[in-house]
Amino acid sequence: MSNRMPEEDPLIRMQRDLKRALAKKPSEIKWGMVIDIARCIGCHACTIGCVAENKLPPGVVYRPVVEQEIGQYPDVRRSFLPRPCVQCQNPPCVKACPVTATYSNDQGVVVMNYPRCIGCRYCLVACPYISRTSDFGEWYTDKTPDLQGKLVGREATAKSYEARPAAEYGEKWPERGHGSPVGNARKCHFCLHRLAVGMLPACVTTCVGRATFFGDRTDPKSLVSELIGSPRVMRLKEELGTQPAVYYLK
Amino acid sequence: MNKNAFWILLGLGVVGLIAGSVGMWARLQYGHIPMAYGSYVPWGLWVAFDLIFLGLTAGAWIIVLLTYGFGRKQFERLGPLAVLTLLVSLLCEGIIISLDLGQPMRVYRFLVTPSFTSMLTWLVVCITAMWVIYLPMFYFLLRGKFARAGADADKDKYRAIIRILALINIPVGLAFFAVQGAFFAVMLNRPLWSSALAPFLFMAAAFLSGGALVTAMAAIFDRDKAVVTPLARIVLVLLIVFLLLEVVQFFIGYRTESSSAAAALNMIAFGPNWWAFWIVHLLIGSVVPLLLLLFRSGNSGSVAWACLLIVLTFLAVRYNAVVPDLAAYNLEGLDKFFVHKRLSQAYVPNLYEWLVSLWVVSLWVVVFLLGTRWLPVIPSEKGGEQHAS
Repeated sequence: MSNRMPEEDPLIRMQRDLKRALAKKPSEIKWGMVIDIARCIGCHACTIGCVAENKLPPGVVYRPVVEQEIGQYPDVRRSFLPRPCVQCQNPPCVKACPVTATYSNDQGVVVMNYPRCIGCRYCLVACPYISRTSDFGEWYTDKTPDLQGKLVGREATAKSYEARPAAEYGEKWPERGHGSPVGNARKCHFCLHRLAVGMLPACVTTCVGRATFFGDRTDPKSLVSELIGSPRVMRLKEELGTQPAVYYLK
Repeated sequence: MNKNAFWILLGLGVVGLIAGSVGMWARLQYGHIPMAYGSYVPWGLWVAFDLIFLGLTAGAWIIVLLTYGFGRKQFERLGPLAVLTLLVSLLCEGIIISLDLGQPMRVYRFLVTPSFTSMLTWLVVCITAMWVIYLPMFYFLLRGKFARAGADADKDKYRAIIRILALINIPVGLAFFAVQGAFFAVMLNRPLWSSALAPFLFMAAAFLSGGALVTAMAAIFDRDKAVVTPLARIVLVLLIVFLLLEVVQFFIGYRTESSSAAAALNMIAFGPNWWAFWIVHLLIGSVVPLLLLLFRSGNSGSVAWACLLIVLTFLAVRYNAVVPDLAAYNLEGLDKFFVHKRLSQAYVPNLYEWLVSLWVVSLWVVVFLLGTRWLPVIPSEKGGEQHAS
């Protein structure tokens, strides 16, 4: 019989942290994410969870997992680096946008104002983390055979699922193919629409290895705040002065 | 320009418009879906052409600077022709970059919600300023030409207005060309762009291509040695300066041993488009014009050929200024595990992109040729006045 005490699932604690954060004034919250690289098993569940949650079309991804093979056989190891938008507190993409279609909100999340975006893709180029993708208007169901009047088929599939927009930013968007976000830059927004109703971001809840932690980084009692204090902590390309709100544990 | 050459070029322009309309139809019907660029190389052939058109405007700026800044009156008669090239280039630039936008109908946003931290906003401000300066300047240049003999008071009035516009244009134009470079140079952590050298390279590129275009026009339409030879010398100097800046870019890029800079430079010099750099740009677009301008600068035909070679091969320069930097910059492994054609570092412009570009270039040719035919822009001392009547 194991002599270890049963541990609380970090999701339970993060859920408590979230509830506490949501009780504060929105402008007093500063969302942050910590990703423990040592715990990431490279299952890509977070990527897929995010794609499903935000109904991302082909060619748009908010949270890919970068895989690297290090060394040569037989001394080989593999590393995984989930890369959401790192939510810079000094974001180069915001400075690049010519029409103020992207900005940092009160909680330190860099968001998109889709109806304002002209689709110049300057922000994509400005992002040193390559965290933004452009929605070129593609469909997963483009090559699905069209069987009008049947249960399956392009029309039925697309209309019933793909054409219906996700609730990104908590707003009601037009059916896909009718304006934004097609033609816009798109990016991870820490699932603000889920946070607003007390749910953790999709990548956090789908993480099999419990490698992704989320919460209010200004709350000293929160798990993320605790983890940010770890000596293992680092941020991507810190030398650029972008001050990401996504931290990694080496 | 003789009649045959005019009709052949106009015919080619019309054929280009017809062929290119296939690409235009695809773009307008299906949006960006048929195009090859993606999210990791978000700008491609159309942005390279956009830079070409922006650069071609420099020719008019040089003529205005020589005429009104340095008081070289022999260039004054090239004014209408040079300003016509500028306006047609700005028109085509506006069209091709609008086609590149994801939501082109929202360009009014530049007026409604501008962000002055963005170099793109400043570029749009400068482009607008160029229209505001050059459109009335063109009008008054033509009014001056249309004015009846003896109406000296009117001509003097127009000249005074043109002079004021020209003097305003000198700093505005300088800012316009500097912003084109700063647009790229202010990007964080880019292999080749993030450098103080970038604005100078982009300015030199604009002056070289624009200067070469206006010199070619002078050599074709004017043929006066007093005009063509000094312009040829200016283009020669600009070509040498540009090549030196390129040498500096390669030297610094390789010597700093930055892996991303080396990767971008390797892509230019030894990548799949190596021929565009070595053969198109360096051999045909630089060495041959350099020799022609060095040894045959007194011959209008040679000068015209040298300058046309520079202009026609300049796409290789602009393409290499945009695409390799984007294609070389990545997070290792980023495009390997979430795979899609839009999420790839590899970019090759496809047929639709070429056809759209062909349409816009053909539009430039047709509008310019018709402008020379219907408007009194050809230097009057050398014929062409009959078109004004």
